[in-house]
Amino acid sequence: MPPAEIWIDGLVQSCIYMTMAFGMVLVFSILGILNWTHGQFYMLGAFVFYYAITTAARLRFHLPIYVSFPVSLLVSGIVVGGLGVLVEKLVIERLTSPGYGMLYVTAATLALIFFFEGAAGMSFGLLDKGLATVLPGVLELDSFSISYQKIAVIIFTLVIMISMYIVLNRTKVGLAIRAAAQEPTAASLYGISVGRVSLIVMGIGCALAAMAGGVMAPVYPINPFMGRLPMIFSLLAIIIGGLGSLTGAIVGGIILGLLNSVIAYYVSYLSEFVLFLLVIVILLVRPQGLFGAPIK
Amino acid sequence: MMTYIDYKTLLPRTVIGVLIGLFVIIPVFTTSVITLSILISSGIWAIAVMGFVLILRTGQFSMGQAAFMALGGYASAILTVNLRMPFWPSFLLAGVISGIIALIIGLVVLRVGGIYFSIITLAFGEIVRILAQYMEGITRGVRGIIPPPPPTISLAGLEINFAAGNPVPYYYFMVLLVAIASLVFWQIGRSRLGGTFASLALNQVLAEHQGIHLMKYRVIAFTVAGVFTGFAGAYYTNFLSIITPLMFGLWQSIQIMMMSIVGGVSSIVGGALIGATVLYTLGRYLSLLPIYNIQYLLFGAIVVLVLLFLPKGTGLVDLWGKFWRKVFREPEEYEMPEETEMAVE
Repeated sequence: MPPAEIWIDGLVQSCIYMTMAFGMVLVFSILGILNWTHGQFYMLGAFVFYYAITTAARLRFHLPIYVSFPVSLLVSGIVVGGLGVLVEKLVIERLTSPGYGMLYVTAATLALIFFFEGAAGMSFGLLDKGLATVLPGVLELDSFSISYQKIAVIIFTLVIMISMYIVLNRTKVGLAIRAAAQEPTAASLYGISVGRVSLIVMGIGCALAAMAGGVMAPVYPINPFMGRLPMIFSLLAIIIGGLGSLTGAIVGGIILGLLNSVIAYYVSYLSEFVLFLLVIVILLVRPQGLFGAPIK
Repeated sequence: MMTYIDYKTLLPRTVIGVLIGLFVIIPVFTTSVITLSILISSGIWAIAVMGFVLILRTGQFSMGQAAFMALGGYASAILTVNLRMPFWPSFLLAGVISGIIALIIGLVVLRVGGIYFSIITLAFGEIVRILAQYMEGITRGVRGIIPPPPPTISLAGLEINFAAGNPVPYYYFMVLLVAIASLVFWQIGRSRLGGTFASLALNQVLAEHQGIHLMKYRVIAFTVAGVFTGFAGAYYTNFLSIITPLMFGLWQSIQIMMMSIVGGVSSIVGGALIGATVLYTLGRYLSLLPIYNIQYLLFGAIVVLVLLFLPKGTGLVDLWGKFWRKVFREPEEYEMPEETEMAVE
């Protein structure tokens, strides 16, 4: 049995994969595409968060950390969410109009990976940036300890998941999103603008990724290529949970994060190998995943 | 979904002949290592791109094409270095091994199509990279394998010396390899097989109801692509005389995709050649600039712009085709109705 720290690390990873996978599935359910650029929104979110925090510190606002931290997260979510809306409006919408296959929009989002990484590398530099001093300190429990940064990640994910639940199930926007996901034609007959819903959903998805990046910024170093691995892993989480199912994204994220951490404890570097193999097997045996609808 | 280009309206035989002639005599004008190595690498990537486009023609989006380059490269390097096989048999075996692995993977994986196929090939590519990185006993990990240069060939009194620093023989062998690959892919594209592939991409359900076995044709495309991508990888390895796990990862697979989009997927051979040459040359010269990462930015921007303004996968090759038809053809032949453009050659 691995020690408690391994499980906590797995849980922290789970939180991030969960948040990112949730955004990706949300976008997939409305737009019908996998947004391969999701990891780069995570990276950009981390950078925006970094600059928000350091600017606040440099301008001597003297804000307590429990104010500046969530505010910076919100800023990064809003900025990158806006960018996501822009991407959907300028690129994705034009390539998903009738007569196009899925191939071209997939190619476009894949190409945007390079675009955003290049842009980030050119404007922020390629060197690692660290934010380790933002939330110093460790919570000592009797047999193990957790750093406050990791607690922040877990609390953030809980808040996000609860607020997403409320938005999707208790508001009119949420109703529109669910309706458009279920039956776009019928939804538009009832006066829901599917185009606007896809903009909203893209904004929410990218904001989630950005905030996940921001909350992880104190834990991992920030560089333009930090988005690659979380994107692939949240993709795997989606596959485990089932493509197109929001519950699946959450459960898949938890399973994947814990598995990654625990397998790495036993076989170190082979954990990625085991996970990729697992995903291939899942796709071959049960392509719809744990919670997904059968493939059309 | 995809428009297909009739080669007869694109380039007459004489022009193709002149182009091939030009490429053959390039080393007479310049033996500059930089120019020739750019051309050699572009040619090698173009072969990989042709494979990718062939799979794309069956409606599948492979994200693991670089993994087959890695398989070919490692097969040839391991056979020559670890098992001390002569160069040429090991080079041929590299393509065969890569093809067999593609066949096996295809038989297992192509049952699930669409987005699931993309993700499985992505996972397969990552698995190949991880294995190459950590099976230190065979692949020497990230230090990579350094294959010896191919032996000197004596042909009718002519010494063909593949020594390092002499790119001319490598160049001619690249031209030969590209010519063979182009011929094969071109023939596939215009034959009944190519038509079947196109019918799979255009309407899968209809094709199945016409009695076309989906799996069979998908696997054929995947295997053919695997064989040639393996050759490309083996030759790239021997040209650079090193192979490391980081040379052929997911990002190289995406690069192959970008080359195909820029060149245009409407034509297997022409699009691949144009796309690979343009992007590789551009990337090589951009990397000389003191601005880091500008090639990533520009590559991404170019692909998105091509997708937006040369839509439906026509790419640069169709731009050329339009220009050609406008200049050298009668106007009434230029204004073809949409149906004939969509019709498979």
